[in-house]
Amino acid sequence: MGPLAVNEIISENTNLFLAFIIGIGFGFVLEQSGFSSSRKLAGVFYGYDMVVLKVFFTGAITAMLGLLFFSLFGWVDLGLVYINPTYLSSAILGGVVMGAGFIMGGYCPGTSFCGASIGKVDGMVFIVGLFIGVAIFGGGYPIWEKLYWAQDLGSPKISKSLGLSDGVFALLLILVALAMFWVADWAEKKFPREEY
Amino acid sequence: MNPRIILAIFIIPLGLIIAAVPQNKTKPYKLTAEQLLSEANTRSQYISPETVADMIVKNDPTLLLIDVRSQDEYEKFSLQGAMNIPITDLLAEQYVEILDQDTKMNVFYSNGTITANEAWMITRQLGYKNNYVLEGGLNYWFEVILNPTEPASTSSDEEFAKYDFRKAASSALGGSTTTIQPANTPLTNSPKPVIKTTPKKKKPAGGC
Repeated sequence: MGPLAVNEIISENTNLFLAFIIGIGFGFVLEQSGFSSSRKLAGVFYGYDMVVLKVFFTGAITAMLGLLFFSLFGWVDLGLVYINPTYLSSAILGGVVMGAGFIMGGYCPGTSFCGASIGKVDGMVFIVGLFIGVAIFGGGYPIWEKLYWAQDLGSPKISKSLGLSDGVFALLLILVALAMFWVADWAEKKFPREEY
Repeated sequence: MNPRIILAIFIIPLGLIIAAVPQNKTKPYKLTAEQLLSEANTRSQYISPETVADMIVKNDPTLLLIDVRSQDEYEKFSLQGAMNIPITDLLAEQYVEILDQDTKMNVFYSNGTITANEAWMITRQLGYKNNYVLEGGLNYWFEVILNPTEPASTSSDEEFAKYDFRKAASSALGGSTTTIQPANTPLTNSPKPVIKTTPKKKKPAGGC
């Protein structure tokens, strides 16, 4: 049956419309969980507030379990689900740049729009910075084009490179996530921050 | 109760289940027996020898002839540009990319149509598109393309046009007829089928 758009059960436009609805829901939940506060987001780097880690890890394992069960029931063909290809050097470099921006600005791209939409000035400034970054990347593309496409690993799966089945890897990841939640709780107690 | 513990109670068993069950590797786009039967009944898998001959003459790059007979038979005689996939090796891994694709029109042929039809049914059952069968097989090919018989003088114009085309194709493809016909002989054969494409996996946009 699924993926719906790939199997042409729904049209491309319906797909975009659903993405729009889900996007609004996503933004709403982000805002309600306090992700529009740059202090809360930056907390993950200092240890006083680990909500980012908890929310995204929960989101990841929920989606993972959902996809695996859907595949088990024959509702979705995982072979047709797009896996973002890994270009190792640009992934690492991009991760560093993004992480540095995250610490300095207190937002990641999605949450900056979340913050700006409720009138946070730092969110708006972040968006301006974001577009400056986009312009620099686009304008200087010929300079880093080679690096950008270097070390193409295709679409690797961790489970495959470890020689595990997807299910066993999922169980391990769930256990890791629960352990991380426990570490996060410990960190929040260890590095408390009074006012933010 | 601590929400962390509730989450753990809920999610660890799910993880255990998913770790214990075998992975679902069945392809949901496989055809059911009913679908395959109705498709076979429409005879839409057949490509007429005229269409194939026309494509060979025009060097149509979308045509791929696949000889499903044994290697011996293939070496003795094969159609121009055909490759050999003996029916016994049909499911070999090296042929998957050839059989399951959406850029070419694969035409299976054998002496009659039985073996070619077997190949078509098996690949169709696997959900592969763009595989066809040469109507009548090589026997019919010899009969109509390489040694066409002149229709009776009472036949319709259409029959004659068909004959002219067959004769032209025959001379182009090394048949016995010696008369060379002009290349602009009108075609009366069925149009070649449209190659069906599978939509590519779509790139999602977004992130954190």
